[in-house]
Amino acid sequence: MPEPLLSIRNLVVEFATEDGIVQAVDGVTYDVFPGEVLGIVGESGSGKSVSTMTLLGLIPQPPGKVVSGEAIFDGRDLLKLSKKAMRDVRGSEVAMVFQDPMTSLNPVLTIGYQLGEAIKVHHKDLKDGQVKQKVIDLLRLVGVPNPERRYEQYPHEFSGGMRQRAMIAMSISNSPKLLIADEPTTALDVTIQAQILEVLKEAQAETNAATILITHDLGLVAELADRVLVMYAGKVVENGDVHTIFSNPRHPYTIGLMESLPRVDVDEEWLRPIPGSPPSLINRPPGCPFHPRCFLSQGRERCRTDEPPLRPIDESRHKTACHFAEELRDHVIGSRREVAGTST
Amino acid sequence: MLTFIARRLLYSIPVLVAASFLIFVFVALSSNPLADLYSNTHLTPADIKVIAHAKHLDASVFERYWLWVQDAVLHKFGNNLSNGDPVWPNLERVLWHTIELLVIVLVLSVLIGVAIGILSAIRQYSIFDYTATTLSFIGFAMPVFWLALILQVIFTNIYLKWHLRIFYTAQLSSDNPKYWLLDRIQHLALPVIALCALSVAGYSRYMRASMLEVINSDYTRTARAKGLPEWRVIGKHVFRNALIPLTTQIAIDFGALFAGAFVTEQVFTLDGMGHYFVVALTSGDPYPVMAWLMVVAVMVIIFNLIADLVYGFLDPRIRYD
Repeated sequence: MPEPLLSIRNLVVEFATEDGIVQAVDGVTYDVFPGEVLGIVGESGSGKSVSTMTLLGLIPQPPGKVVSGEAIFDGRDLLKLSKKAMRDVRGSEVAMVFQDPMTSLNPVLTIGYQLGEAIKVHHKDLKDGQVKQKVIDLLRLVGVPNPERRYEQYPHEFSGGMRQRAMIAMSISNSPKLLIADEPTTALDVTIQAQILEVLKEAQAETNAATILITHDLGLVAELADRVLVMYAGKVVENGDVHTIFSNPRHPYTIGLMESLPRVDVDEEWLRPIPGSPPSLINRPPGCPFHPRCFLSQGRERCRTDEPPLRPIDESRHKTACHFAEELRDHVIGSRREVAGTST
Repeated sequence: MLTFIARRLLYSIPVLVAASFLIFVFVALSSNPLADLYSNTHLTPADIKVIAHAKHLDASVFERYWLWVQDAVLHKFGNNLSNGDPVWPNLERVLWHTIELLVIVLVLSVLIGVAIGILSAIRQYSIFDYTATTLSFIGFAMPVFWLALILQVIFTNIYLKWHLRIFYTAQLSSDNPKYWLLDRIQHLALPVIALCALSVAGYSRYMRASMLEVINSDYTRTARAKGLPEWRVIGKHVFRNALIPLTTQIAIDFGALFAGAFVTEQVFTLDGMGHYFVVALTSGDPYPVMAWLMVVAVMVIIFNLIADLVYGFLDPRIRYD
């Protein structure tokens, strides 16, 4: 097995709020290998964004606080870097694509300036003309038509999809080793999503950067990711390669996520949401964080008292955090359909 | 940009016409400038009628307005009603006095207020921030006339006790000063401090709030994620965006200060616009009052134009082609 590019171990991130301490990320551990695409899925508030923002020191501190853990990237712990060393990593070795392209670009500066700035800050020796040429090449690479003219324009003269292309161009401008795409398509409409997906694929192929793809869109994960990490309530609940996760999910939450997707091959009237809502991250219930919503738990004592560790299953790299994962061995996605359908 | 300025100047013409008409109607109808003559026992009502006719006071409002506009445009607002002196020389003198004072106040209060606002925002909840917050609330709460009077009392007493002239507490200048600049500073310091207190308090709060909003914005996060040093993030990405809302406030303030500095002018007996207006109003002569109102209206229009141009410079989304 190759050396991981990024190893996160037991990361705990808390936020101080008026209601108490929110444990947004609670003991997260995972690896990212060079060149692969790791998809992180989970619903809002599951800690998927926070766990990656923390890597670049981009969560506001306070109220945020990294309580413990380490994030070894290329032999260094990102969480212990000096401000200067962190700045050298940002945008150069680790780059981000943010969720909302409408607000993630500065409205008063030209696209060309904003992209050029990202290059210049890490390549002080480049002349302005070279930087400009590189920016125009990047814009062309991500499919922005007429890049020479677009270079001079402001974000408000770009459509949402074009802005996200510009953001992607910015993120790959220094050929980062790790690219973090935080819900890159969420704010876009469906037809544009597909285009951006293609651009992301190309960008990834061009730079061969390891990519963390944060999303709640399972379709996006199936399309792009090599491995998948499922997060729930600040914890990793399942982790494995994309085929295993989709064909043989071993955590009731993952199954719930998949079964909540509408299907085109079956005639159905109702969506099947996971019942209930995610737990408060201030007063965590004891035991498994998912047990109040779990179809497998059904009031079993152990789910309420013991927190299940993330453990390997089926003697493979597939890991799950469920006491009764073995019972899901022969689970067929959609088999609970009729039962769920009659109860709604 | 030039087309925009030309267009804006053209737009101001109807505004000015409307303003001048309203000013004339309200002022002309609000009092009878010849009222004093009725108490004069040497004049018969017939005499007064003759005077009124000579001054066109018996004509219709529209006719009088038209005559006044001609006077204003062709003869620099014409003459006083009471003694026949020309209006403009006096108004021009006080206008420059007030502009001098207000430009100093504006430049100082914007520089100081913006600097305090920026520091408060990037050191949010620090001792500096708390101190600035407390002082600005005191600045808000303190009436300008009170501050002006206190300053005057303090510096008068210093002079009386120790014969030490730090600042003058009245007038704008001495007759034949030895050192011109020193004399100006000594005269202007106290009114400037009194007028700055409120503006600095206001601008620092505005700047702090808008800086904080921009600091927490998505594009500031993007700038940080690029690996920019913090001073570049603040200087290039935050500062300019944060200045946009402040621009409106400064433009509005200038108009308000222009007309409303009369309390400070009264306390320090400055020969400025505010003082002029009070005197004109109490004299019962409508022509200086109308001339003053027109000058203020023109100044407000000019400053709104400047504010619009600054907007266009700061924010490309409202650029004018």
